[in-house]
Amino acid sequence: MASVYKSAKAGETSENKSNGTVDRRINKQRVLLLSSRGITYRHRHLMNDLEAILPQAKKDSKLDSKSHLHILNELAELSNCNNCIFFEVRKRQDLYMWISKTPNGPSAKLHIQNIHTMDELKLTGNSLKGSRHMLSFDKNFDASPHYQLLKEMFTQVYGVPKGARRSKPFIDHILSFSIVDNRIWFRNYQIVEKNPTNTPGYTAKDEDDITLVEIGPRFCMTVIRVFEGSFGGSTVFENPEFVSPNMIRATHRREKATKYNSRQAAQTERKAKLKEAEGKESELSTRKVFG
Amino acid sequence: MSSDESNHTEEELKIVQEDELMEQEPVSLEDLDASDIDDEDGDLILEQKVTINNEAALKRITEEFRLKDLPWIETMAVTSTEPIELEDVHDDLKRELAFYQQALEAAKIGREKVKATGLPFTRPDDYFAEMVKSDEHMEKIRQRLLDETAGVKASEDAKRQRDLKKFGKKVQVEKLQERQKKKSEDMEKIKMLKRKRKGAEDFSTEDFDIELDGGADDKSNKKSKRGGPSKREKKDSKYGFGGKKRHAKSNTAESSADVGGFNPKKNKAPFKGQAKRPGKAKRANNRNRK
Repeated sequence: MASVYKSAKAGETSENKSNGTVDRRINKQRVLLLSSRGITYRHRHLMNDLEAILPQAKKDSKLDSKSHLHILNELAELSNCNNCIFFEVRKRQDLYMWISKTPNGPSAKLHIQNIHTMDELKLTGNSLKGSRHMLSFDKNFDASPHYQLLKEMFTQVYGVPKGARRSKPFIDHILSFSIVDNRIWFRNYQIVEKNPTNTPGYTAKDEDDITLVEIGPRFCMTVIRVFEGSFGGSTVFENPEFVSPNMIRATHRREKATKYNSRQAAQTERKAKLKEAEGKESELSTRKVFG
Repeated sequence: MSSDESNHTEEELKIVQEDELMEQEPVSLEDLDASDIDDEDGDLILEQKVTINNEAALKRITEEFRLKDLPWIETMAVTSTEPIELEDVHDDLKRELAFYQQALEAAKIGREKVKATGLPFTRPDDYFAEMVKSDEHMEKIRQRLLDETAGVKASEDAKRQRDLKKFGKKVQVEKLQERQKKKSEDMEKIKMLKRKRKGAEDFSTEDFDIELDGGADDKSNKKSKRGGPSKREKKDSKYGFGGKKRHAKSNTAESSADVGGFNPKKNKAPFKGQAKRPGKAKRANNRNRK
């Protein structure tokens, strides 16, 4: 019965389309948002925040595998998505964000650091859930080709297309992407237009003035690699400056170990030195003369 | 991969290697192994990390998946006019300010553009809908802000109080010092006066109308000599000079009637009563003092 109803319904809509009710959405973007297993609470909160500010996003359940990422393409297709944000968590502490244009690519792998979620009480802004936001890019994005590529990708993935299903009509916040220190810094600000109720000492001069209040989340992305395909394919860019967090931790540990080793070496050296300084017994040593 | 695309990649590789003037089949850097690298000098580092930055491919890919011919309102992406340049990344304040300014500029440009298309920008005050942060959360934020301001105010108050206390103490010390100074000054003055009087006996003392030692003036005037009474006078007072010497130490009628020096209490043992236990506060205070 249900299938009959469905098919009838489908026929209806297709007829409607042919009758001239054209879908006026030109920019169709849907984002699949999911994480791998082993995600921590902070990463999960960040993902929820992203879901809250992206009305075109569809959240999916955790992905079991970390090695066969190509199945994400099929997953995205199953849920009618042409973009994918995948949170890959390694060792329950390192967060990598895959951003991909499924199914044909490109895709990029980014390392996420310095996460502050929206729950933090220091971030005092607020906005409508699902309102469209503007995107602000740093001029540095035009400086090199891989940043240009990322800029285009962010525009499509993080931008809310006009007429997205759950989006609301007003524009009250802005996402900003800036490049400092070879990292991409993400910020989300509420746009507050000054009016007599929210500005003490309001004058006519403040009429068109805007202030921003940060909403959150904030995080910092380091590009690791850019691939030609979606979740695979040949690497077209690799960040030479990226050092994996594993490496950093290993170095720290090694440093600690060398501290112990060097102390031990110093102790044995000192003992040997003392022994040498004692000297040998001779004809004229005190014990022989007075003993 | 379609033949079209593979053509692309070959072209790119050629472009990459043109400036190196190599007349070989294009081989990607990853495919090279150690034997392919001719190490004539012997100082090539074989383990050097080979990084990939295929700019031509990046450009081509970007051009391929770029959203073309879309009105601005579809994406609403704004690029800043000035690139962010910071001296110190770890200077949080400056960094956040730079981000803020970038976003602010974009917001201003964006608002003009949105208004030009005739779409609504500002949310009217009577438009209520679900927000990103819940009301409870916003209440928490508000409470925190209040707490923060209250804390700041309290600490400022405490600081002011401390300063006042410090200042009060200073004032007290100053007053004491002033009093001391005044006292010593007065003494100095008196000494000066005394000296002056002694030095200038002949001058009238009308100018200095201060009574110094009560009625002792006459005596001091009589004994004008320095160094007190003379030897003769002393001896006279000690051994007697003139007058009756007898019965000087015996009682007279007056002396026996005089009871001035007698105090009946003097001989009694004083009654002290039971030793009192001091009050609680006093005891606590004493304990603290130890």
